[in-house]
Amino acid sequence: MAEIEIRNIGKFFGPVEVLKDVSMTIADGEFVVMLGESGCGKTTTLRAIAGLESVTSGKILIDGEEVQDKKASERDIAFVFQSFSLYPHMTVYENIAFPLRAVRMNASDRQAAVKEVAEILRIEPLLNRKPSALSGGDMQRVAIGRALVRRPKALLMDEPIGALDATLREQMRAEIKRLHISRGSTSVYVTHDQIEAMSLADRIVIMNDGILQQIGAPEEVYLRPANLFVAQFVGSPVMNVTDVALEGGDGGASVMIGGDKQGFHFPGQVVGHLNGAPLSLGIRPEAVLLSHDAAHGAIEVETTNVEPLGSHDIVDVRVGETVLRSRTEAGFVSGEGQKVWVGLDPLQAHFFDRDSGQALRGAN
Amino acid sequence: MTHSEPRAGQSAARGLNDKSIRNLFIFPTIAFLIIFNIFPLLFSLYTSFTDFRASTNAPANWVGLENYSYLLTNEFIWRNFTITAKYVLISVTGQVVVGFGLAMLLNRYMPFKGLITTLLLLPMMLSMAVVGLFWKLLYDPNFGIINHSLGLGKFEWLANPDMALWAVAITDIWMWSPFVMLLSLAGLSAVPKHLYEAAEIDRAGTFYTFFRITLPLVAPILMIAIIFRTMEAFKTFDLAYILSSQPTTELIAIRLYKMAFLEWQTGLSSAFAYIVLVMVVGITMIYVKYLNKVKER
Repeated sequence: MAEIEIRNIGKFFGPVEVLKDVSMTIADGEFVVMLGESGCGKTTTLRAIAGLESVTSGKILIDGEEVQDKKASERDIAFVFQSFSLYPHMTVYENIAFPLRAVRMNASDRQAAVKEVAEILRIEPLLNRKPSALSGGDMQRVAIGRALVRRPKALLMDEPIGALDATLREQMRAEIKRLHISRGSTSVYVTHDQIEAMSLADRIVIMNDGILQQIGAPEEVYLRPANLFVAQFVGSPVMNVTDVALEGGDGGASVMIGGDKQGFHFPGQVVGHLNGAPLSLGIRPEAVLLSHDAAHGAIEVETTNVEPLGSHDIVDVRVGETVLRSRTEAGFVSGEGQKVWVGLDPLQAHFFDRDSGQALRGAN
Repeated sequence: MTHSEPRAGQSAARGLNDKSIRNLFIFPTIAFLIIFNIFPLLFSLYTSFTDFRASTNAPANWVGLENYSYLLTNEFIWRNFTITAKYVLISVTGQVVVGFGLAMLLNRYMPFKGLITTLLLLPMMLSMAVVGLFWKLLYDPNFGIINHSLGLGKFEWLANPDMALWAVAITDIWMWSPFVMLLSLAGLSAVPKHLYEAAEIDRAGTFYTFFRITLPLVAPILMIAIIFRTMEAFKTFDLAYILSSQPTTELIAIRLYKMAFLEWQTGLSSAFAYIVLVMVVGITMIYVKYLNKVKER
């Protein structure tokens, strides 16, 4: 197992800059998930670590050794492809044994290693089958088995369960986590699915347009997004973001949304550090609090849409010109056009610089 | 749809119905097949059991299996078979090695790849007779460019009994390697690129990747190329006939031609043709069986 360090890597595909000065350090045994929309550079970063893609600038270090000019085969890293990439003309056994045969491991050691991996992944009954006779989940198990069998320095996974259906995805997610905990391998995992990222990662790396946006533990990127992109990318339903105006001083301020004259009162410790630059307010649906009675500081509004989701509802309310989405208990309101009172939880509010998109946080 | 006796003008106006299309296209085809394929096939099968000579008016006498036993025990005929086998082996092996090698070279990014591929295919498009005639000039011991560029002096190719077969095979390799190349190229480009990436990650070396990934995956289509080339090489006539008149280049097709049209032993040569047919079918079946096995993998 190993530590991976990326220093200021950049990458051009022809004239297109796909990675811009990306740096990060992945600790030994850590599970890092790279999250972003397709085309954001996450897969390119992963392939650069593996050696399947060269970098235009910057350095990649594995265990302190520079590897950016080495071939993939010299980096001792395993890779799980989204398309599984099993060798179609070989049995499952031969597929898993391939990396061992390629480096001429002797037959008995090889057999023992394949058996061990097959046991862990519960694919022993499939060893004599061809990949074409396997289900998607089993194919991915075999692909992971082939990656793990030679105990690589790190395990890189490129959307390994993206091609599976929803139920299987959930199951494989749990399996990958279990595998990581039991093996403790340094893992880098690429996905566009934030639930996968949140549930698997020790730390999440969020990328957009080839630029690294934020690195942090799942709760950190959720609770303290570094900028508007992260704020809106992580979390479902999406965080409410709206331009606001502030009125008041150190003792607290009134936050006006959507041109509504009546503001929400925010205490001084929440808004004290804001220096008067144009602001955007980000607030997650669970921090938009609805009540049937006139609570203190709440504004009377009308519901415009209700999405019942079983365990909870998503209710849209109109505040001035702006629609805020709120997460309520199931059946809280019966439909649109109802009068409710809306309040915001100041402690769960995020302020962003409207121009740069950067989060503005106080000392806390 | 049924018409009661459609008149000519009427049917032309309405276009052809299914039945008349069938009559128009299928029956002439069947007639041609019977006249030009099936009848000669059966007639030659019959003549192969007779002493029929097409050059005389004498009636054919039934001789039973005499023609076959004569041919299969005649050592000169066996020499023709041996020569042919040697020729097929040299020629097909050469074409596979050269053709597959070229395909490997072309199966990567290079400038003017399309143009290069097209140019490499040119020999295949030429007439056998033309190829034979100008290779005869290339091989010429006095002014041929082959001896000149290889610095071989006055080396005899076609007049040399030991080299003549090789010379014919080399010409065939030059002409037909592009065919193997074309099919191999199709096979190679069908191997998914990510398998090579997986092999690279799995630390497989170049040779290991070639023998364990590339070759098994290209094998089915390469097999088809080999089947075609073997059948063609087996019945090679024109190239060898034009290039050389050495006894060491007397392939079965040439022997058969001489037997049938110079010696007019029609019955005997029919039997000979049937023996060759059975052999080609036999060899092809072995290949097809192997092809199916390869495909299963």
